[in-house]
Amino acid sequence: MKALSYLLIRQLKNRILAIKKKPGLLILYLFIILMIVFSAVSIIIFDNDGAKPTFADERIMYLFIMGFGFMYLFLFINSGLSTGSTLFSMADVGLLFVAPISSKKILIYGLISTMGKALLAAIFILYQVGNLKVQFGYGLKEILALFIIYAMIVLFSQLISIAIYIYSNGNPFRKKLVKTILYLSVLALILSVYLIKIKEQTGLFDAVLRMIDSKWFGYVPVAGWATMFFQGVANGILINVFISAGLFLVVGILVIALLTIGTADYYEDVLISTEVTFQMLRAAKEGRNVPRRTNKKIKIRDEDMDLLKGSGAMTIAYKHILEMKRTSRFIFIDGYTLFITAGVGIAGYNFKNTMAAYGILAVAIYLQFFLTLLGRLKSELIKPYIFLIPEKSIYKVFAASVTSLLKPCVDGVIMFTALAIVRGADPLTCIFMALAYASSGAVFVGLTILYQRVLGGQPNKLVQMMIGMTLLLAVIAPAILMSVATAFLLPSYLDFLCTLPYSIFCTVFAYVMFLACGNLIEKSEYTGKI
Amino acid sequence: MMLSVRGVTKKYGKLIANDNVSFDINQGEISILLGPNGAGKSTIIKCIAGLLKFDGNIMICGNPNKSLPAKRELGYISEVPALYDMLTVWEHLEFIARAYSLTDWKESAERLLLRFELDDKKKKLGSELSKGMQQKLSICCGLLPNPKLILFDEPMVGLDPHAIKELKNLIVEKKQEGHSILISTHMLDSVSEFWDSTNIMMDGKIAARRTRRDVVGNGEDLEALFFQITEGNKKKPEGGMEE
Repeated sequence: MKALSYLLIRQLKNRILAIKKKPGLLILYLFIILMIVFSAVSIIIFDNDGAKPTFADERIMYLFIMGFGFMYLFLFINSGLSTGSTLFSMADVGLLFVAPISSKKILIYGLISTMGKALLAAIFILYQVGNLKVQFGYGLKEILALFIIYAMIVLFSQLISIAIYIYSNGNPFRKKLVKTILYLSVLALILSVYLIKIKEQTGLFDAVLRMIDSKWFGYVPVAGWATMFFQGVANGILINVFISAGLFLVVGILVIALLTIGTADYYEDVLISTEVTFQMLRAAKEGRNVPRRTNKKIKIRDEDMDLLKGSGAMTIAYKHILEMKRTSRFIFIDGYTLFITAGVGIAGYNFKNTMAAYGILAVAIYLQFFLTLLGRLKSELIKPYIFLIPEKSIYKVFAASVTSLLKPCVDGVIMFTALAIVRGADPLTCIFMALAYASSGAVFVGLTILYQRVLGGQPNKLVQMMIGMTLLLAVIAPAILMSVATAFLLPSYLDFLCTLPYSIFCTVFAYVMFLACGNLIEKSEYTGKI
Repeated sequence: MMLSVRGVTKKYGKLIANDNVSFDINQGEISILLGPNGAGKSTIIKCIAGLLKFDGNIMICGNPNKSLPAKRELGYISEVPALYDMLTVWEHLEFIARAYSLTDWKESAERLLLRFELDDKKKKLGSELSKGMQQKLSICCGLLPNPKLILFDEPMVGLDPHAIKELKNLIVEKKQEGHSILISTHMLDSVSEFWDSTNIMMDGKIAARRTRRDVVGNGEDLEALFFQITEGNKKKPEGGMEE
């Protein structure tokens, strides 16, 4: 283990030393430490004030853990079915895999290294210390438990992913089997919630909470084990802690044994995934927006080629439509549309009052912001063609933004139609909400252009992010205020109109941004980065 | 004059990537930008292609390089192939044809694909191509509009011997048709057969300029001159420019 322990320690040491050369990063780390210390101090103060306030339902916390556990499990099972997962870097592949070191030792090195990274990434949990204290009355013990759970989920999911890849790679039957088991498990969970709902005569949300709180759920892999572990720590039930930790440990050891037993050779199986991860990391470091590639075969249909139409700048818009068709059969209706529509439908079903509907709209707009931020205009700017095409900049900017403008219109219509059906909401309100959602899309595109025009050459990502958020708030705040004021001024039978000022403001802003910053391509530089 | 570069300076913060660079290329001329890594060759090529902002003046066929008439006459083949993952080989060419509003382009596209052995890969996505094939397609995309001025940034890197041979032949053909070509490279051998003029770059400046006639007439060894400049020999090369 000499070389491996040297590698682990040396990398850690060099990483720490490298901070000295990056004052910005040093300030960021100091800020994080300061926030953590501040949170810890706030816990001590809360613990000593003797007050016993009422806390939120603890099952909400279990729900978060369950959601997190399932999300990681499904993501990694899916990656296991395509490219697999990895505990290694390209340097490990090039230098360690060919070195005369036992593959078992190398696997342990990979596990320790990944565990370390997972724990470092789990630092975000410490940010929530104050929040968890106020909401649930949790102290350091529970925070520590969350910290461990996060690391265990990440590590375990990666192991499962590698194991599934080894088991199913190149074997369609086994892939189908894993998928079937996965879908049946999801179906079983949905069925359980439904049965609890019927049996207990309760709402959907409460049925989910009751399921998470039930004893049997603790034995559901990963999400259940994690919830049981946290329950055990939070409520002082040691047996739960031991059982869940034991389950993680035993199944983890079994997977490791599968990877290393006999002549099992995992090098080849982690190679593709390591290369994919390496490319993604490099792309992220260079600021490129690169989607994760999978082994999913994209069918090239002759009829799709007819989508590439137009001439001059508008060819860019048609190209985007063709690209969208390659990732989603229904072009503008994709996984995000289904996800957001389902979310809006479920939220609408559970929260019936009018204010909740506006809350749903706000959340949908918030999510849309992140979707637009990495939209197609940005991905176009990392290729030289948009700069080279002999057309006026404003036409090219508009053409590159067309699909980003249209998608929110389609999403808005679908999701608010769902809201109208599920909730029986007033159709006029839903139409104007869809309009507000679509116009938000326009304002976000306008902001992207402004942002790119002003900050395109700004190399500091932190500065970019902070100025970008400030710009967003500065633009959207007056629009929201205008709508709130309208809501107070209008008679109640015209309430459906209260989002209209917001929509008008957003549309006008987007139009002004196109006119003002349409020369983006002429004035900015091609760097191959975002 | 097909290309005129006058006093171009490009700075990245404090780093001066191009320092008061000037040179010209005539019609039907193959001009080479020679220099070691980091000499500023790619930067000046990108400035000419209108991809970067700069101080100075660049004219293509008598038009400012960022104007639409200049862009219509310009072809640029980047150092790293820049393709769309979700477009097939043929769709890349169709996209270029439509974006440049080309007519009767299909035959030229077929010829280019055949020449670079991509004719059987028309339905392959950009993401499915190997690095070398991506580079070949990138070359096809740059050449399809039949531009009068073609900029190649390290074009031979990653190409197989057949593609290198085809590219060299194509460059010579383009010259014979009256097109002008600017090639940046740090590999002298790869361009030794066909260059007409060369600018040797060092530290963002043009350190020396030669035409083939100069070199043949004086019996000068271009390779020796290159190493004299790039390996830090303080002795100023004869006929070189001090900038």
